[in-house]
Amino acid sequence: MSNSHSDTIPLHPSSQSDIDEIENLINASVQSGPATVLPARPPSPPRASIPVSSSPFIQSKIPPPPPQSSSSSNHKVPSVPAAPPPPPPVGNSSSIVATGFGPPPNTLTEPVWDTVKRDLSRIVSNLKLVVFPNPYREDPGKALRDWDLWGPFFFIVFLGLTLSWSASVKKSEVFAVAFALLAAGAIILTLNVLLLGGHIIFFQSLSLLGYCLFPLDIGALICLLKDNVIIKMIVVSVTLAWSSWAAYPFMSSAVNPRRKALALYPVFLMYVSVGFLIIAID
Amino acid sequence: MDESSYWNRPTSHLLGSVPAVVNEESEASYGRRGGGGRGYQTLGPPTEGFDQQSQNNWKGVFSISSYTQYFDVDTDVVVNRLISSFYPAGGDFFNKIGANPDLYGLIWITTTLVFMLAAFGNCATYLIQKRTDRTTSWSFDVGYVNAAACGIYGYSLVVPVAFYFLLRYLGSNASLVRFLCMWGYSLSIFIPTAFLLLIPVEILRWIIILIAGTASSCFVTLNLTSYIGGSNDLRMMMIAAFLLQMALAIFIKAWFFP
Repeated sequence: MSNSHSDTIPLHPSSQSDIDEIENLINASVQSGPATVLPARPPSPPRASIPVSSSPFIQSKIPPPPPQSSSSSNHKVPSVPAAPPPPPPVGNSSSIVATGFGPPPNTLTEPVWDTVKRDLSRIVSNLKLVVFPNPYREDPGKALRDWDLWGPFFFIVFLGLTLSWSASVKKSEVFAVAFALLAAGAIILTLNVLLLGGHIIFFQSLSLLGYCLFPLDIGALICLLKDNVIIKMIVVSVTLAWSSWAAYPFMSSAVNPRRKALALYPVFLMYVSVGFLIIAID
Repeated sequence: MDESSYWNRPTSHLLGSVPAVVNEESEASYGRRGGGGRGYQTLGPPTEGFDQQSQNNWKGVFSISSYTQYFDVDTDVVVNRLISSFYPAGGDFFNKIGANPDLYGLIWITTTLVFMLAAFGNCATYLIQKRTDRTTSWSFDVGYVNAAACGIYGYSLVVPVAFYFLLRYLGSNASLVRFLCMWGYSLSIFIPTAFLLLIPVEILRWIIILIAGTASSCFVTLNLTSYIGGSNDLRMMMIAAFLLQMALAIFIKAWFFP
């Protein structure tokens, strides 16, 4: 195993080939418990698609938990297949560190319902964390670490569909405008923060902006059912304020305080335009 | 382990770290931490820079850090430039921009204007139809959004670029970013105008749009003149700029607030 290092020029003094790393993990897990495996994780950022990082823009007094405990807390439904795998924390970390390599990952052989249930529970928990901010919660940064894009996708499509149903003419054009506005808007808002010199992680921000659409989804649904202009205006104003209030802490803490308004104004503009679409579609 | 130290730890030696193309490592101020790429925010030591220089020429187009220099403004600076764009007299906008032109104003003023035109255009059309015919009902024409986006974004991108190339061809020094910035801020006067154009009195609408168009065109022309230096050849350019801005104002009135 170590002979192979003499043949290749390692990219980095501390790099190993993937196969070697997997073998190390398997051997270590077979020998002992997670205690010897997990210390290998903190130095390397995970190579899978989920960046497990503590966010700088939630000023929590609580030190962020080490990455391995948050990745294992991801899996609320630890599915243990019948085949003898490594113990779940190690199984999770090895399946996160080496996607596609290693022992049969639990997430491939589990029943579909387990996968769906896990994703749904993650959506619900992220929703509760993002849209119902609770100043007394114990881990304010949790929603940021467990970000996902399914929730935002559902909310954007649902909003587009609701607006399209409400429209009496040009239904497909309304859906197209709403979807384009929201999707492109989320990307542009994130780019805006990055360009202003803020600290934000691209997909975390997309995820958060998508979750903050949830109040507007509710507002659109109510406006679909009740067609009175005055009620629509009240409902949209309330849900608009709620969405903006949910998005405010994330966006404002990501940039320099002198540029806070520059980062927040586009968010407000996007939500106001969506709110106007909701009111105006007849 | 507080959060600020997490971002300051050198991470270039870590397994799997992707060195982001971050060039402005020499400035340690907060505002200068340019984008840092797509999610891998490694703030490596300055020695990282040497292996990125060779990639910079073509890779710079796709990395955010090469564009942060155009967004290096604070709230008060932007507000100051906005206010100064409302007063067409005094062609000192380019001095005010100085060495720090920003594209933030261009992007978000045009986007706000697109939204305002689509929204208030629909409202104003409804109001003026209601005056003539009591039985019309509200209908929201989504085509207004498309027309506004194409018109405003197209104008604010094509006209400065065209002027830049023409003025370069004619020999005077011109800076594309400054032109984009100036034209972007010149559109800001149309935002309250769109609000005022809701008034369903036709003659009043024409008066309002003509005043706004004139103010905006004077802003553009005066600043262009003071920047380029008024020589006879370039007078045609100034007149063209004036007429184009007036044409935009007339287009706004005719299409969105008929």
